[in-house]
Amino acid sequence: MLILRRKIGQVITINDNIRIIIQDVQNEHIVRIGIEAPPEIPVHRMEIYNIIQEENASAGSAGALNWLKGASNDGSNSDENSDET
Amino acid sequence: MAATATKTVMKPEAISEEAFYFPQGLAGFSDAHEFGFIYEGHGDIVCLQSIDSPEAAFLLTPWDEARLGPVPKLPNEQCSCINVQAQDQIMWMVVLNPFADKQWVTANLRAPIALNLEARLGLQCIRADSELEIRYRWMAQPS
Repeated sequence: MLILRRKIGQVITINDNIRIIIQDVQNEHIVRIGIEAPPEIPVHRMEIYNIIQEENASAGSAGALNWLKGASNDGSNSDENSDET
Repeated sequence: MAATATKTVMKPEAISEEAFYFPQGLAGFSDAHEFGFIYEGHGDIVCLQSIDSPEAAFLLTPWDEARLGPVPKLPNEQCSCINVQAQDQIMWMVVLNPFADKQWVTANLRAPIALNLEARLGLQCIRADSELEIRYRWMAQPS
């Protein structure tokens, strides 16, 4: 891991298109940073991203289409859960 | 196009014709960018399947304001990702999980899908609010 020391207002660049700016240090423990990145680069808090990643892994599989086909063949319908279609 | 006109075409079968491009992919599937919608005639539920990696397939259903409240607001920096200028251009859908619970199909309210129907662009909007349910009970499992 690359470790850098930076002061408030100083910048870290990654490639040509990502900039990380040190905004503030609060109570000696909380660092506020600004991130400039192209829109196609997702930027998230890791603990939140990990939760969504796990849920997507649980929900997203080739079995999803099979489930949908099976549910449709059952004749059951989710319209009762929707106000209108 | 008027906002109301955009909302009235939010039927799953209406979005199942052409591929959508997700510039960021989806969390955990960041290499999957091009997705097709498959509609099997099951209510409002569609399958969003990666064209490059068909094993990445998700069930989606439109955001239901009557049950969930107002649609989320997409942050401005993410609006540019799917090329929308106004919030009412966005069709919101939730990702369903039919595998997590034997009795319930759950909905992930923390990371809904934002679609720009005209531009065929999509984004999974990860919301920081920890109060939002990851596994909201959406509907009972079909018997």
